[in-house]
Amino acid sequence: MKEWIFTTDHKRVGILYLVGSMAAFAVAGIMALLIRAEQFNPGLGVASEPTQYNTWLYFHGAAMILGFLIPGLTGFAANYLIPLMIGAKDVAFPRLNALSLWLFWMGIVVALLTFVIPDAPDIMWTGYPPYSIKTSGNTAFYVFTVHLIGFSSILGAVNFLTTIIYMRAPGMGWMQMNVFVWSLFTGLIVQLIFVPVLAAAVTLLLFDKYLGTHFFDAAAGGDVLLYQNLFWFYSHPAVYVIFLPAMGLLFEIISTNTKNRPFNYNALVVGMCGLVLITGEVWVHHLYTSGMPDWIRIGQMLTTLMISVPVGVMVMSLWGTLYKGAISFNTGMYYGAACLFLLLLGGLTGIPLAMTALDLHLAETSFIHAHFHFIMGIFAAFVVFGSVFFYFPKMTGRMYNEALGKLSFWLNFIGVNVTFWPLFIIGVKYGMPRRYYDYARIPEATPYHHVATYGAIMVALGITLMLVNWIYSAIKGPKAVENPWRSASLEWTHAASPPPHGNFAAPVTVSSDWTPYNYK
Amino acid sequence: MSAHATTGQHWDTSVAPLLVAVGCLLAVPLPFASYFQYHSLGMAVGFLGIGVPVLLAGIAVWVQEGIAQKHDQFGYSQMALPIFITSEVLIFLGLFTSYWALRLLAPAWPPAGSPHIGLTIPIIMTIVLVTSSVTYHMAEGKLEEGDMGGFRSMLGLTLLLGVVFLGLTITEYSHLIGEKFTPSANIFGSAFYSITGFHAAHVLIGLGTFIAVLLPALKGKTNMDFVKCAGVYWHFVDIVWFFVVSQIYFW
Repeated sequence: MKEWIFTTDHKRVGILYLVGSMAAFAVAGIMALLIRAEQFNPGLGVASEPTQYNTWLYFHGAAMILGFLIPGLTGFAANYLIPLMIGAKDVAFPRLNALSLWLFWMGIVVALLTFVIPDAPDIMWTGYPPYSIKTSGNTAFYVFTVHLIGFSSILGAVNFLTTIIYMRAPGMGWMQMNVFVWSLFTGLIVQLIFVPVLAAAVTLLLFDKYLGTHFFDAAAGGDVLLYQNLFWFYSHPAVYVIFLPAMGLLFEIISTNTKNRPFNYNALVVGMCGLVLITGEVWVHHLYTSGMPDWIRIGQMLTTLMISVPVGVMVMSLWGTLYKGAISFNTGMYYGAACLFLLLLGGLTGIPLAMTALDLHLAETSFIHAHFHFIMGIFAAFVVFGSVFFYFPKMTGRMYNEALGKLSFWLNFIGVNVTFWPLFIIGVKYGMPRRYYDYARIPEATPYHHVATYGAIMVALGITLMLVNWIYSAIKGPKAVENPWRSASLEWTHAASPPPHGNFAAPVTVSSDWTPYNYK
Repeated sequence: MSAHATTGQHWDTSVAPLLVAVGCLLAVPLPFASYFQYHSLGMAVGFLGIGVPVLLAGIAVWVQEGIAQKHDQFGYSQMALPIFITSEVLIFLGLFTSYWALRLLAPAWPPAGSPHIGLTIPIIMTIVLVTSSVTYHMAEGKLEEGDMGGFRSMLGLTLLLGVVFLGLTITEYSHLIGEKFTPSANIFGSAFYSITGFHAAHVLIGLGTFIAVLLPALKGKTNMDFVKCAGVYWHFVDIVWFFVVSQIYFW
């Protein structure tokens, strides 16, 4: 027990990140079920008052993004895998790493206090003023959740960038690194640059609400759009902090399970670096309807569409990796294959939203809601789930139940499609607004909401089975063979399962023709 | 996982990270919300009373462990610090951008109700801060020569200059608040106190790292990486001050 809570070992820190982020996911998932139950029929149903519904939306958004997606990828997956993949004994600063972990947990604690305090925060995960300043809700807790988890992310970024730059095994060149290492390297650069700006924005919000400053108060010379600009200057890149590592992890799953090198590795790396360059110039597409001058909107429409180029390169590499591959269909690969579909669906519905003229009609409808759930929420969540199955034998030394894993996969996959397809339809057809608890003016949307709610219940069942599978198999599962997927990457070929403290029995060196994908 | 418990394998541990994290939670978010959201001074003081000692204890353990580490085990700090400072640059850039946007969009600047802010105090503050950067650099030189006594006295002098800087900040604030120029007076007041206050907070953190260097140094213990990093951070805080002076006072 003491060796767990005071641990500085990257693998244990990683597993504790996974526990924290899955806890955030579970509670935020319950919020999603409550939201779907409330929208089942028009009018106030499950919630006792509209503010309570706002609190659910707040917790769902904040906990899914800040508590699950970002820590699940840059916390859990990065911690567990990066030192193993680059052949290092640990990260550059093990104690700083443990501090990142516990600051993240403190952020989760502050977020969970939402359910026990009076005046719970009710300001979405965006915290837009003037409402966030005028509300009687506890905006301070929103700000401090961002501060704690943000500080944790910045320390994590510093730690992992240093680790990747300076601690690679002797002989490992930049173009010999795993795709996941590259994706995390680029994703953490984005994190390092943009998280501080969010911290600045929410700090000013805190000052405005509690200390009487006027940054966002138009009546006293402030500017309410300043907050939206600062917020999305971070929060659009935050999508790439999630997207890039998710993409990298997906390559590990797909490449190993097809026994193929990632198709066009060099272009893939260039694409990831290119994404970092464009990521800071697209945030205005979140503000098309907020009253921006046309020259900014059109300029940022072009940069937003340009994002499709590096992302297109990555998706093409994914499909290319399948070509002539010997594909093994285990649960990890099921999630990997589902992600190919989710990327197309989420990506293609993003293109109309990038175009100003179309977005003016689709903004704030459930079409947007479904789009970003597919591309950010579900895609990245499926990668996290797939990677837990994929690395399960590595982390625990035991094997999960394959049949139960596949069953929970199908429930999740069908469930998310049943949930979100209707939301695409009613967003376009009836202009169903997002975030509203009531839709009395559009009773035609009711059957679609019914279907969506049934889908959500299906996902809840799938997730429950998945968690049962993980917990049961970690304790009672059959012993796994070393390297069950016959991977060529260092974490499988050079380290025991689970790896001991210090990871490798002997220091690792690699030759100039070594690659982590040496399959043919 | 359970396999390790039975083999009795050694895993590195440290209590410092958990203490610091819990200390952060108890010392900032909970007291702030208690006082400002729920208007309970007693609860705020209670949280601070537990949180600040926990935080300080965590930092003390951390520093002790760090100083005890051998140089070669701790060799990445000087490479990592510039990466961390990048994020610090961005947070200041976020604040300055807000200030620039509000200032350039304002119909008149400074807005009505702003007093004349004298340049004497900021010029003295600049001289004090630049001098402190020089004295710290000299302290590093003394340490490299192996002159522990010289190192301690130059470090003490740097610390003193930092305290003088903060004293001047407080003098200026109390003077301006006396003229009814508060953070809520107008948008210039908001920007003025936020940016200078945020910089002053960085000075305070810099002084905290100096104390963490000085206390072990009094017992003759140092870690060169730590000394160098504290210095680079201090020079960074110094450089930011030039932006504060030029943008807030002289523009």
